[in-house]
Formats: sequence, C-alpha cells, structure tokens
Amino acid sequence: MKNRGLRFDPRIQFAMLALPGAAFVFVFLVLPLLSIVVFSFWRTERYELIPEWNLENYRIVLTDPTYLTFLLRSLVMATVVCLASVVYAWPVAYFIAKHGGRYRLVLVLLTAAPFLTGIVLRVTALQQILGPIGLVNMALMTFGFEPIEALMYSNVASAIGLVYLWIPFMIVAIYLSLLNFDFELLEVAKVAGARPWRAFLEVTWPLNWIGTAIGIVLVFVPTFAATVTPRFLGGPNGSLFGNILEHQFGATGTWALGSAMGVVLFLVSLAFILLIGRTIDPKRTGFTGIGR
Amino acid sequence: MGDRRRTSFFLQALLLAFLYLFLYFPIFYIAFLSFVENTTWPFPPLYTLEWYSRLAIMSDFHEGLFNSLLIGLGTGALAALFATAGAMALLRYPVRRKALVALLYLGPLFVAEVLIGISTLMFNRNVLGLPGNLFSAILSNTTHALAFAFLVVLSQLVRYDWRMDDAAMVFGARPLRCFFEVTLPSIWPAVLGAFLVSFLLAFNNFEISFYNLGAVPTLPTIAWGTLRHGIEPELYALATLVNLAVFVALLLLYLLIRTGLVRIGLPED
Repeated sequence: MKNRGLRFDPRIQFAMLALPGAAFVFVFLVLPLLSIVVFSFWRTERYELIPEWNLENYRIVLTDPTYLTFLLRSLVMATVVCLASVVYAWPVAYFIAKHGGRYRLVLVLLTAAPFLTGIVLRVTALQQILGPIGLVNMALMTFGFEPIEALMYSNVASAIGLVYLWIPFMIVAIYLSLLNFDFELLEVAKVAGARPWRAFLEVTWPLNWIGTAIGIVLVFVPTFAATVTPRFLGGPNGSLFGNILEHQFGATGTWALGSAMGVVLFLVSLAFILLIGRTIDPKRTGFTGIGR
Repeated sequence: MGDRRRTSFFLQALLLAFLYLFLYFPIFYIAFLSFVENTTWPFPPLYTLEWYSRLAIMSDFHEGLFNSLLIGLGTGALAALFATAGAMALLRYPVRRKALVALLYLGPLFVAEVLIGISTLMFNRNVLGLPGNLFSAILSNTTHALAFAFLVVLSQLVRYDWRMDDAAMVFGARPLRCFFEVTLPSIWPAVLGAFLVSFLLAFNNFEISFYNLGAVPTLPTIAWGTLRHGIEPELYALATLVNLAVFVALLLLYLLIRTGLVRIGLPED
C-alpha cells in the first residue's frame, strides 16, 4: 500500500518523467561545456592536452590582432544579419498572423521547412546562385554585363547566406508572439486617433518585443558562430571567428587554444542573451499564457 | 485610409512572396541542375540522368546514407522519448522548479551547434574516453534535437485534457497502462512529429556530427567534402533527393498533426 502511495505521488511522477531528459542534457551538454572551460586553462603539445594551468590561451585570443579581427567581424556580421532579419521578418510574420486565416499554419511552416534540409545543402544551393559560376554572375556575363563582385565570395554573400539560413527562426518567433496579440488593440488605438505607424511603434512593437527578442537571440547565436556559410560564401576576407575556432580542432590540433575560443564564443553569446533578456518587461509582453 | 491599408496589405503579401522565392528558388534551381549536362550555364538545358546514375554507384554515398539514417533514427528515438516525458511532466504536475527543468530542455537552442560539436568532442575524448563514432554523434545530436522535439510536443500537448488520464486512474489504471491506453492514442501525432523533426535535424546535421564522427562518413560530411574540393554535379542530385525526402516527410507530418488534432477532438486554430 505504501508502495502504491509513492507511485502516485505527483512529485515522484514528475521526477520520473522529467529527470531522464534533464540528466541527459546535463551529462552530454552542460558537462562538456564546463569541460572546455577547464581545458581552456591547459595547454596543448603535439596534439595532446597537458594539464598545466595557465592563462596563455586567453592572452592569445584576446590580444592577437588576427583573432580580434575575426571576433569583431563575427560580431558585426551577427548584428547586421539580426537587423536584416528583424526588418524583413516583421512584415512577413505580421501578414501571416493577421491575414493568413486558415492557411496561416501552412504559410509559416513553408518559411520554416527549408531549415530542416540542413545547412550544408542550403549553402550548396545558394552557392549555385551567388557564386562566381552561379546563376546571377553567369547571367550577367552571358548578357555582357560586369559581374557583381559583391555577390561573389564576399562578406555580403555571407550575410545573405546567413539571413537565408536563419530568418525562419525570426519569422516563427515573431509569428508565435503575434498569435497571442490582440489585434483589436490596434482598432482602439485608431479610434483614439493614432496613425498606423504610431500605433505600430507604441502598441504592436512593444507588446510583441518578447517574440522579436527571442528571434534576435535565435538568429544571433548561430550567426555569431557561423562556420560553413563564411567558408563557402565568404571568400578570402570572409573568415569569421567560427572558422578560426574550427581550425584549432582540425589541422593544427591546438585543443586548449580552441577551447578558450569556444569559451569566448559562448560568453559573448551569453552576454548578448542576458543583454536582450534585460530589455524584456514581463508586464508588457501581451502574453496571456500558453495556448490561450 | 482604406487605400493605405490596401497598399500595406499588398506590400506585405509581396514581401512574403519574395521570401518564398528567396527560400525556394535555390532549392529548385539545383534540382533543375541535377537533370542537366551543362550545369554551369544550363540554357538551353541538355537533359541527362547521368548524375543520378553516378550517385547510384558511388559506394561512399551508400555508406553515408546508411550512417545518416542510423544517426537520424537513434537521435529521433531518444529525443522523442525524452521530449514526450519532459513535456508531460511540465504540463501535468504543479511542481516547483519547473523553470530549471524547462531551461535544461530548451537551453541547447541557445548554444551554437559548432560549440556543441567541439565541446562534446573534447569531453567524450578526454573525459569519457569515447572515440568518435556513430554512437557519440547520436548522443551529442540528441541534446540539440531534444530542444526542438520538446517544443513540438509541448505545442501540441497544451491542448490535451489531462482529466482523461485522471478518469482512467480513478478507475484503477496504473500510470504506465494509462499512458499506453489513454494518453498515447491521443498524442501520438505529436510524438511522431517530435521524432520526425529530430530525425531530420540529426540526419542533415553537419556541425555537431562532424566533430563526433571520427572518420565515419554521413551524407552532410560527404556533401561538405565535395563542396570543399570543388563542386561535382552528383552533389546536385544528392541535394535534390534529400530535399525531396524532407519535404515529403514534412507534408506527412503536417497531415498527421492536422488529423491528429481532429482525433483529440479539439478545435483547429
């Protein structure tokens, strides 16, 4: 009887259901992330980690002008891609949420579907449009125009590629926020004499900032750590921090330095997430509970 | 005023149409390229099936396909299992510290894939002593896919009425029996959806798998290698087949979720 009582205890049931997954993430993601913090204070010799504590890796990452350039370039890239995604995703998500009617689920899923085909194939496809022998440049050359240098192997091409890869996240995040938004409020604003732009800036935007903020974070994190896109679209001056990071785990085998770069990458992302998180005012989300 | 509204309506519709063009044109263009001989400037196109027949006899393509399927199946099964259990726990029980649990399930969404890749590589290699192989790749892909699987199950399960389970329990059903005979028959489309999304993410994953696979080839790593050494038209054929499979799978998922909702007897949105 006692056994039976224990089995029906909600706390035990909760733990039995929630803990396996939580423990899995803890062991196979949280611990690995903590482990690279430790390794980042060690050093590497001939492809082997040597447990001798030092700050040399961080000194290199944070003072070497080459690495700093990559870090800064990644930061600028992530900011530009985020801004472009917000500007483009907003009217699209708004349109789907407001006018999509019974098709809005299909419309939003169509924007998200390509995401599941994987970044390598998506970048491959984009390279056939933007690359030097891509459709755009071949068309220009065939019709006797100058090729557009900016589209071939450049940071502009990388930025287009990253928007291409990650804008689905922004659209879905803003869309989900707008689903919980009461469009009647705009009618109220209009009756009160607000022009459409003012109503947007003072009602729609602030009440859906939480969705936009989540979208910004979801685009910023993978863009800031991008490796495949800059490698295949960015060209000679297009390498980003992610590329120099992956390099440490490839040819050079400098695990400790790479770990330090990984930690820096993670800390910058985390700082960005916290910064964005601070701008969210729970009282002004317009969020009335899941599924309501 | 009405005119302005109509203008902004059409402008937004135009932006949406252009977005679809932006997202899908490259995908359809390489599908077109996969059927032509003159891939550099395919106008007028000289149609051929050569790239597909070359792909069919490439042995590392077969090996990669098989390995990708294994990673997808393993990750899909693990992630769907953890996600379903986690979502049920979170929605059903009024327990404190839910936020911490939710953070662990959703946290991977905010960690870059390459970071998951390198940190699990370092941890597996230096702490657990796990070599790079399919098993390691499944483990690290699961943490990433779990976040997406969790969102899929959660989004469907919020509509589920737990009173059905309470009723079954009142009549003496044990929790496990209650799950298989009451809960699962209603929520299986969500579980399948979580499986499918995790399967696809892991099947096509590059940045996590690459670091955990050792020398084991998968379709994304083969594609990456081809891209690195100068593109070969077989890659267009490969990409087209994978894209087609993904869209068929998603269509299936969409139909199932739709009919699944009808089965639960809840209103569509």
